[in-house]
Amino acid sequence: MRKASPKSAPARAADPALKSLFEVHEATLPNGLQVRLLPNRQAPVVSLYTFFNVGSRNERPGITGISHLFEHMMFNGAKKYGPKMFDKTLEANGGSSNAYTSHDMTVYYDDFASDALETVLDLESDRMRSLRISQDMLTSEREVVKEERRVRTDNDIGGMMDEELGTLVYKAHAYRWPVIGWMADIDAISREDCQTYFRTYYAPNNAMLYIAGDIDPKKTLALVRRYYGDIPRGPAPLPVINAEPEQRGERRSTVRHPAQSPAVMIGYRGPAARDEDTLALDVAQYVLTKGEGSRLTRSLVYEQKLVVGVGLDWSWRIDPGTVLFFLELKPDSDPQKAEAALYAELEKLARDGITERELQKALNNLRSDHLRELGTNNGRAHAMGNYEALLGDWRHVLTLPSAYAAVTSEKVKAAAAKYLIPERRSVVTLLPAPSEA
Amino acid sequence: MASRKSRSPKSSPRRAAKKAPSRAKKPASTKSAPTSRPLVFPSLHESTTSSGLKVVAAERGPLPMVSMRLVIRAGSSTDPAGKHGIADFAARLLRRGTRRMTAEAIDEAVEFVGASLGVGVGEDTLSVAITTPAEHFAQMLEVMGQLVMEPTFPESEVADARERALAQFANDLDEPSVIADRAMVRALWGDHPYGHDVSGSTKTVSTFTRDDAVRYHQERLGPKVAMLVVVGAVDPMKVAQAAEKAFAGWAGGPDAPMVIPALARVVGAGRVVVVDKPDQTQSQVRLGGPGYRMGHEDYFPATAMNIALGGGFTSRLMNEVRVNRGLTYSIGCWFDAMNAAGIFALSTFTKTESTREIIDVSLGEITKVRDSGIKPGELRDAQTYMSGLYPLRTETNESIAHSIADMRLNGLGDDWVEKFRDRLRAVTPKQVSAVARKYCFAEAPAVVVLGKADAVKKQLRGLGPITVVPASEYE
Repeated sequence: MRKASPKSAPARAADPALKSLFEVHEATLPNGLQVRLLPNRQAPVVSLYTFFNVGSRNERPGITGISHLFEHMMFNGAKKYGPKMFDKTLEANGGSSNAYTSHDMTVYYDDFASDALETVLDLESDRMRSLRISQDMLTSEREVVKEERRVRTDNDIGGMMDEELGTLVYKAHAYRWPVIGWMADIDAISREDCQTYFRTYYAPNNAMLYIAGDIDPKKTLALVRRYYGDIPRGPAPLPVINAEPEQRGERRSTVRHPAQSPAVMIGYRGPAARDEDTLALDVAQYVLTKGEGSRLTRSLVYEQKLVVGVGLDWSWRIDPGTVLFFLELKPDSDPQKAEAALYAELEKLARDGITERELQKALNNLRSDHLRELGTNNGRAHAMGNYEALLGDWRHVLTLPSAYAAVTSEKVKAAAAKYLIPERRSVVTLLPAPSEA
Repeated sequence: MASRKSRSPKSSPRRAAKKAPSRAKKPASTKSAPTSRPLVFPSLHESTTSSGLKVVAAERGPLPMVSMRLVIRAGSSTDPAGKHGIADFAARLLRRGTRRMTAEAIDEAVEFVGASLGVGVGEDTLSVAITTPAEHFAQMLEVMGQLVMEPTFPESEVADARERALAQFANDLDEPSVIADRAMVRALWGDHPYGHDVSGSTKTVSTFTRDDAVRYHQERLGPKVAMLVVVGAVDPMKVAQAAEKAFAGWAGGPDAPMVIPALARVVGAGRVVVVDKPDQTQSQVRLGGPGYRMGHEDYFPATAMNIALGGGFTSRLMNEVRVNRGLTYSIGCWFDAMNAAGIFALSTFTKTESTREIIDVSLGEITKVRDSGIKPGELRDAQTYMSGLYPLRTETNESIAHSIADMRLNGLGDDWVEKFRDRLRAVTPKQVSAVARKYCFAEAPAVVVLGKADAVKKQLRGLGPITVVPASEYE
């Protein structure tokens, strides 16, 4: 084990407030499992995260949603701890766990009392080594996931629109389908599909382990070696091809569904997480929608009174992602008017950039939010894993504030002029349809 | 992003429900093994400003941030008849202009330094919360003082806020879980002060005037029913000084909190409300009955019982309804305890076809616990689970500030957090049986189903008299 030095990787200064918080110990096991340990004695609790480099971007038509369905299956029994025993053992030892699947990764976490550490390592390594996928558990879990799809998408207007938008923005890339998958595919995924998936993507060389909290790094690493050391390496997963063709003009689509008000969701094709432009777009996002005094909130909600709410979601992804705007309207709103008001603001941003004060304000808020995210063991472990999965190094946790500080008004203007333009735009409009009452 | 258990999906910025019966806060704590270390809870420093405002400060690092909450006993339960929602409405307007600052100036002052300001109203309290980088805390406290002491409620802001609220009520009709929760609140509480949505309704809000907001502010907000809690990287002495300055001259408001009555009985007990949304492929299901008020002696046994019945991933409900039958993605039950009274409620959803099945299986599990309590092993596991995770509640400035406010406002005692795990571990199976008999729907529960009425109504026969209402009933 070597103790991490905050130099190497990103050639930027570490934030002094963070340096003292991140006494990270790192190691790589012979089977390729990467381990990061972060002691903190403030409370007698620990958070453990396991990141697997697999998400819906690794899927193909016919088995869309398998990453997520598989995530559910990871809780349904392995060789040592059979069906129901993972949660039962964990909770009876003072822990709780959950997981999520995104386009790019599948992430599992446990929060637990520090004296349950060894039990948790036993549970987690057991399912990484020897998951057992029973037909009965799959049959039942499939129904659970279908209910999840009904609640998030089929009976949720935002979910419906989001799904429609994905198919507009992406023509070839796997980001085209929703993480939860198409209903018919969820129905079709077989036990064999799951087994192949497990062998391909759940090997230790495709995983990263983060343990943060009330731990002794030396003893913990010895335990990790003991529990995970004998899990065999797997084949390197095939790389994902990004065959997305260039977009040659605005794309539009309409969703008709019983609703009180129209709504608009707009996606612009953005850069990949590792692209330098990503940081400029983060600053743009803060200027546009962070806080009541942000440009879009002030202009569209308070001054022009055209919308009830405006949201912007710019989520980093491994491959080029989407800068997503959402306009919540009033029952008698004209969606085109709201759209036009939004575009006028985006054009202004691309034409005039932002003021020095707006830039400083965005940087202050980016730093505050970053610090807040790092206020818990769970937040610290997750942040390290997330940056490592997306950017290739956990040290971005330390250097992100200074990376933002290098963003200038000019760069924000250039990013807006490059990405937030009609040629890169896809628009989904929800038009209220009469209910079939 | 999809996940194993409900989280708000990141990609849909439609605003979440303002009032879902709060999922009992995720438990958190240490093991029943003697190895568990004591909790580190910062020491509390108290002072009172010359205007009579109580201040509680706790110093805590290492992050250079400070979290402050001003909590005022002026929640939605103090809304006058016919003006339901005025507390929430007035609270939202506090930041839309004060004697010395416009809305824009307030936004800029707070947001420029990287602080965040939130104003929220619950049944019992109105709170103003600011999280700020430590070096700006005194200035942020000044802003907080202005918001509660001298808001101006500009006429144009009142009109705009009213219009936005009405649009929001309309759009809420498209959120199945929001409307189901709203229907449940009404079925449980009826015309009790806790029985209306915190934000009111289209009917009440459309009558709001500037005078209503001004009157609410004058009559309900004041230093004698307020408390300021400050937690973070700041010296408690400095907190006392800054609070004195920020709240100097605050006067008026009530001398004591309004007394809210207990709940006489659940008005919708034994009755079924079907909220019709013909386009749904899934039903939202709610069941509920009486619970207890905050600080009640039943808290610990009921909490332990509820973990076994409907908390976590290994609860009986989760096991029978989700794991064994695949009927839902999410099911849970919880006690929602307010200052004067509380309820016990179950919330889940399932495809339209299995609406009756999910209700029957859920009621079956609850009945079993009512008749036979839980096994000693289940109780032990529940105690270890919650004790182990409890320290998570002491991880952030915000959660500590919350705990302090809860302890003080509800008279839980200052040793509440430190003693929590011991008190939970002291619960006996006999105590659990007693609370189970009391709360597990000894009287038939109120039932709310939101979904395709044509398809679900015939499934619900035998559960009690059925009333079908359109969703617009809850606008």
